[in-house]
Amino acid sequence: MRLAAAASIALLSFSAAAKDTVRIAFVGPLTGGNSAIGLGGRNSADLAVRLRNGDAKAKYQYDLVVLDDECKPDAGVQVATKAGSDRGVVGGVTHYCSVVAMATVDTYHRFGLPVIVWGAVLPDITYANDFKEIHRVNGTMINQNQTNAKFMAEHGFKKVAVIHDTTDYGKGHNKYFTQFFQKEGGQILSTFGVTADQQDFTAELTQIKAQNPEALYFGGLTPIGVRIRAQMDKLGLKTQFDGTSGIVNDDFIKALGPLAEGALAFREGAPAEKLPGGKQFLADYQKQGYSNPPEAYGPFAYAAAVLLMDAIEKTGPDRKKIIAELKNVKDRDSIVGKITFDDHGQNTVPAITRYVVQDGKWVTWEDSEYAAGKRKLPTGK
Amino acid sequence: MRSRGAAVALTAAVTAFVWGLLRAESQSAIAALLALAVAAGFVLLKTRWLDPLAGAALANERFAQGLAVASVAALALVLRDDDFALLLVTRVLIVIVACLGLNVQFGYAGVVNFAGASFFGVGGYTAAVLARATGLPHVLILLAGGVTAALTGTVLLLPILRTRGHYAALITIAFALLFRTFLEVNDALGGPQGLKLGEMRIGPIRFNDPVGIGPFEGSFYLKYVAVALILLALAFALVLRLERSWIGLALDAVRIDEIAAASFGLDVARWKIAAFTIGNFVIGVAGALSAFMIGFIAPNNYTFAESLIFVSVLLLGGIGNPWGLSLAAAIVILVPEKLQVIQEYRFLMFATLVVLVLLFRPVGLLPRPLRRLVERSP
Amino acid sequence: MSVDVVAQYVMNGAMLGMMYALVAVGFTLFFGVLDIIQFSHGDVVTVGAFAGLAAWTLLTASGVTSAGVLLLAVTGAAAAVTALLGVGVARFIVLPVKSAPQLNVLLVTLMGGTVLRECLRLFYPGGSQPKLFPALLPTSGWTFGRFFLRFDNVILLVSGALLIAGTHLLITRTRLGLAIRAVAQDEETARTMGIDFRRVVLVTFALGSALAAFAGVMDGLYYNEVFFGMGLLLGVIGFAAAILGGLGNMYGAIVGGFLFAALQTVGAVALPFASAYKDVFAFAVVIVLMAIRPTGLIGERASERV
Repeated sequence: MRLAAAASIALLSFSAAAKDTVRIAFVGPLTGGNSAIGLGGRNSADLAVRLRNGDAKAKYQYDLVVLDDECKPDAGVQVATKAGSDRGVVGGVTHYCSVVAMATVDTYHRFGLPVIVWGAVLPDITYANDFKEIHRVNGTMINQNQTNAKFMAEHGFKKVAVIHDTTDYGKGHNKYFTQFFQKEGGQILSTFGVTADQQDFTAELTQIKAQNPEALYFGGLTPIGVRIRAQMDKLGLKTQFDGTSGIVNDDFIKALGPLAEGALAFREGAPAEKLPGGKQFLADYQKQGYSNPPEAYGPFAYAAAVLLMDAIEKTGPDRKKIIAELKNVKDRDSIVGKITFDDHGQNTVPAITRYVVQDGKWVTWEDSEYAAGKRKLPTGK
Repeated sequence: MRSRGAAVALTAAVTAFVWGLLRAESQSAIAALLALAVAAGFVLLKTRWLDPLAGAALANERFAQGLAVASVAALALVLRDDDFALLLVTRVLIVIVACLGLNVQFGYAGVVNFAGASFFGVGGYTAAVLARATGLPHVLILLAGGVTAALTGTVLLLPILRTRGHYAALITIAFALLFRTFLEVNDALGGPQGLKLGEMRIGPIRFNDPVGIGPFEGSFYLKYVAVALILLALAFALVLRLERSWIGLALDAVRIDEIAAASFGLDVARWKIAAFTIGNFVIGVAGALSAFMIGFIAPNNYTFAESLIFVSVLLLGGIGNPWGLSLAAAIVILVPEKLQVIQEYRFLMFATLVVLVLLFRPVGLLPRPLRRLVERSP
Repeated sequence: MSVDVVAQYVMNGAMLGMMYALVAVGFTLFFGVLDIIQFSHGDVVTVGAFAGLAAWTLLTASGVTSAGVLLLAVTGAAAAVTALLGVGVARFIVLPVKSAPQLNVLLVTLMGGTVLRECLRLFYPGGSQPKLFPALLPTSGWTFGRFFLRFDNVILLVSGALLIAGTHLLITRTRLGLAIRAVAQDEETARTMGIDFRRVVLVTFALGSALAAFAGVMDGLYYNEVFFGMGLLLGVIGFAAAILGGLGNMYGAIVGGFLFAALQTVGAVALPFASAYKDVFAFAVVIVLMAIRPTGLIGERASERV
């Protein structure tokens, strides 16, 4: 009698655990100056996995292996090697920091691990190589800099000084912005390269101040963006601060307080609420009760995770088959719009959003009081 | 013969333990294994079995060394499919080689070197630049890494020779900080983005292809394990020979009391130069191999904190004792990787451990045995 | 280059020099008293800055808004915490290994510093990110052409100078200062003359660490930011400055601090395309100087026992 009971319990638990567990990796900057975005991405990927696990029709149970690349290329390569060498991990949703993504493409290729980038914008990540493993759902920095340059020219900023970080990310921003801005008839007064963890910018800013620019273009990430803006104020350099997608997050505003007011930035992709699936995504995200908001790239991480899991459902947990399946992604619906991977695994995101900081929040330019003429930018334009 | 049998059994037990640690996935299993190891170590220390064991190993040195190499090889073969475990094993071996170099400088000659990771980096960057720009055979590139590191060291020789104690420390610390900043702002060497290395090739053997000899299949990391093991054996032999020779005697004299050594006619400067240069050579070769294995190097790999980790390995294991530092290297690399929960805390843990060791057992885990000037019969 | 740009550079250099000098004086005091290098000093600076930040966070959360009160509380908290920390380090880490080889003390304090740094990074809320430090001093200033002289910079410089002057007076005009100088000169004789060695050491550590606290708060106020790694570089530079000026010599330490800042500024001006090279330049010069004059520019006040 007892034997039968035990056997039936065993059978029941066996059938309940009939779904195989498949592991996918999430990699992003979970510590350090960009951690807000990394955590937002992680939570979004986690949300996608949870929703999929709650779906009875799913063929597999998914386990998200979370890895921290610290926004440093060496740490990134280390965790990429870890994920790649772990035969149980069949795919990855990877990287916000372009420096890290550039460093790890070879590693993923070496281990044949299919990955989908969710936040890094350097074009070279997908275009400088022919690796079938690398895909990306978010856009590249080319379009955002084109819109940036046009905006600056249209609003009367003709003389601009540039500070960019010396990683490929910062250099890429510098290259594209300079190219487009000069095409619009603008003049680049000077260009300074700084290290990504530099503390003191008084040398650069003192020289820039002597040139009297109408705006300062910053190609880099939040940690030094905050320092540059703060030290501009210390030196009495009153000029328009113009940034890129690297500073579109709450930490930038939190760290600067009122100094952030009036800063401009540009990003590919619409803000979450305006995305096709955005409202549902935000509602689901709220329900899970994460302690960090999804930030700008959360929806892309979510979409990447969903795409990866869809591929796994179709082909099973086999890296090679997943790579072949991801090649066929055309007009796939997702919360960020239709996704199509070109022959380099790159998706095209047409919309570029223009942001300005207003009252401690990133507001789209069109919705802001600056566009309506009710407020003037720091330089009075 | 009986003691040899016991030694084999003991080595087999330790190897099995390491295999278990590397294969274990669940955190609780790993924690249990580590607790077991700590308990065993404690028992060994308290019952004073450690010293006779160490003595026995010294008496049968060739046998002990052969046993160690055999056990690592066996471990690698058993783990032949597990990429990540083999990667860890190779990393441990490479760190041991680098710390052996540091040991010659620090443990034997008393030349303090807080820029160990910088010389490691010189080897790595040499390998990267040469592999990308020239067609030199990779074995030569490994050696070139060592030579470049040794040459870089000569830049610091003059200040180091003229200073003592904490002044000398400042020089290597300043160099460590300077080196990393220099790499970051220098675009010719890749800047913060770092440099990528292509596949390593020795003769017809390609290092990125998995091993396939007949029915035997294995991860490509097996090849790196083999090279690292050969390198380790060479470095170990070199260091031990050095210690046992009159060079080692001279280095010891210089370390213990420079003025006394000078008054006995030893050319202090010459021995310090020799130790520093040889040490840097070994560190450089290890750095070159490490660069090939990971396939990528960046300035952040070679920071002052990394140098401190090398120094910690030396201090924990027992300054001057190659076996001690091997054990410490294994602990320092394997434990944080497997015990995920302490990954974030690993710098804190090791720093605290070193502080405690320096306060309560400054000789380290396996202190350097007294110099044996008379052959003892087995 | 016009006068006002030069003036700006000089101002920047002076601020840095003051911070380095404060840290260097600490190093020199510790060395004078115990013949040891307390390498966790830089990280004690960081702890001071964070303690000040914590005090500010607590007070503003309970509704205090007066800038003067906040400033006093921040500085006071920083000084108190670091003094205690300094005493703790002296008693538990440095004094026990005093008789061990000098290198051991260097190593143990180096690792101790790492422990402090990691504790801040791991246990202070949000410690791994740079944290905003409040601007408690008036931010307005005078403008001369393109040179912007801010009030807060002037206040920081003046108070730093006053603090150093005060320390100098303490050392030269008080009994405590006399005791410190006696112990620095010859420990054994001082003991036989009835000076409580332990007490003097602990007080010296408290004093040096409180100076470090001020350097930390100054750094925070100047850059409006603190982060867990800020003490490492400050510590090494302070150490280098103390050595340049000759260990044990307080004036030398101050000179060394400003000298290092001058080197950095010269480097920044001479290499305008990459100001990060200024650190490379400054450290390279230090190494060269050590090769030429191994015991510093002014010379160490110590003898070696053979």
